[in-house]
Amino acid sequence: MKMLLMQCRVEMLRIIRNPYYVFWSLLMPIVFYFIFTKIVNTGIDNAEAWQAHYLMSMTTFSVMGSAVMTVGIRMVQEQTLGWAVYMRITPLPGSIYFISKMFGQTVMHAFSVIVIFIAGFLINGVHMSIGQWIGSGLWILIASIPFLALGTLFGTMKRVDTASGVSNIAYMLMAVLGGMWMPIDSFPSVLQTIGKWLPSYNYGAGVWSIAAGNAPDLKPMLILAGYLFLFMVLSMYIRKKQEAV
Amino acid sequence: MENIAELQHVSKIFSGKKAVDDVSFVIPRGSVTAVLGPNGAGKTTVLSMMLGLREPSLGSVRIFGQSPKHAQVKRRIGAMLQEVSVIDGLKVHEVMSLIRSYYPSPLKLSEMVHLAGFTPEELNKRADKLSGGQKRRLGFALALAGNPDLLFFDEPTVGLDAPARKAFWQQADELADRGKTILFSTHYLQEAEDTADRILLFNKGKIAADGTPDEIVSRLTSRSVSFIADMTGDDSYAADEMIHRMRSVPGVRDCKEQEGRWVVTADNTDTVLAAIFRYNIPARDIRTGQGRLDDAFEIMVSADHDKEAVS
Repeated sequence: MKMLLMQCRVEMLRIIRNPYYVFWSLLMPIVFYFIFTKIVNTGIDNAEAWQAHYLMSMTTFSVMGSAVMTVGIRMVQEQTLGWAVYMRITPLPGSIYFISKMFGQTVMHAFSVIVIFIAGFLINGVHMSIGQWIGSGLWILIASIPFLALGTLFGTMKRVDTASGVSNIAYMLMAVLGGMWMPIDSFPSVLQTIGKWLPSYNYGAGVWSIAAGNAPDLKPMLILAGYLFLFMVLSMYIRKKQEAV
Repeated sequence: MENIAELQHVSKIFSGKKAVDDVSFVIPRGSVTAVLGPNGAGKTTVLSMMLGLREPSLGSVRIFGQSPKHAQVKRRIGAMLQEVSVIDGLKVHEVMSLIRSYYPSPLKLSEMVHLAGFTPEELNKRADKLSGGQKRRLGFALALAGNPDLLFFDEPTVGLDAPARKAFWQQADELADRGKTILFSTHYLQEAEDTADRILLFNKGKIAADGTPDEIVSRLTSRSVSFIADMTGDDSYAADEMIHRMRSVPGVRDCKEQEGRWVVTADNTDTVLAAIFRYNIPARDIRTGQGRLDDAFEIMVSADHDKEAVS
């Protein structure tokens, strides 16, 4: 237990000290939020609903980013620096190492959610019930698990450059096509069809429902669970193959 | 004496090539063993199998009588790996506290700081910002974090300057005096000779020789007698005559002139001396000598190359 706490604390320290985290996960989403609700889309009908919707888009955008990018790139880094090998000769069980990584990451996500929600409240006075705020936050944290799994999948790559390149592209494509930057309804129908099957759209869809005052549908949950399963199996399979040497 | 580690008929095959080929040895408690050999001899592969990082293709590796992957084994070992391992985003003292927390009875943080010889400023630096030498010192302190009984150092002094190297071996000697069992790999032959009480000489995945540094030297190097010969009269005839006579002495391998001195290499220097007096060779300034381990090592490796060239 002491090991787990220490390990979690360390993982969080490492994330918060990473300038990329502060920039990509906190600053960027808030700046985007400001631009797209204050400057670009002013004069829209039902502005209040849009402001709440877009706040959720930006929060999911932030958390998805740090889940995919931080986890994956960090794992590759630890592999290339030899740190991952070193950990294997210490008595720290691999499971605790992994759990505390995921847990530390989730705590940082909770921090991002709180910061961005507060920013939304301060910038636009976004108004939701307590239940909606908490529900949205919980959805964002729990439904981020498939993206953590995707991060570990990118984490099996050999080089930091490849991992950061690939995860960057995947992240941006998922964000745009999944309707996190602009609503998916404004896309051509082909892109809409593709987008609706992406994990990012389904991640957003659940929390958009909550922000609109409805319960999330079953469909996004099932699709996200499917992706979680797929990413986990793939990443475990690749890792097994690499360790077999 | 209790055996700390035991390898039995261990082989490791990488894509059809034998990196380690049927290696067996035991490491007794309190010994300091050097795993010596040229690059690619299989030293690091042997160490990584002993550390549980790689699985032997054949044979068994037991540390403290258990599999190296056992948590109980990991609590009692410490290692400096060849790759300099650093974690990013943490300060030096944070890394030390972190690694300490993994072990049941770790060293005090102050002891680790002392071992690494870090100043307070260095302790507050980010670990990934340290210089190569500082990272090594951190790695050394981390290897000792759990107060281990068995220590592995894989090429510990590569890239260190002479004073740092000396300081490292001084610390290793102190550890050995405190009864720690130490296994290190090196291709600095001098280090193996000076620090270890036993050398496992590796070549092409096999143990080429196993013994004390003295034994290895005497097994692999020939002794020699050198002298200055005052030849009078017909020099060339006397020299030919002498070469002929010396070469017919049993155990003598060669007799030739080097930089004004005659050098006779032989298994036994006493018989050479006897021959010198028997044949009334006008020798003065007679010296006997023995090749150093460095030379022995060169001889072994190059002899091996020759064989390859022939076959």
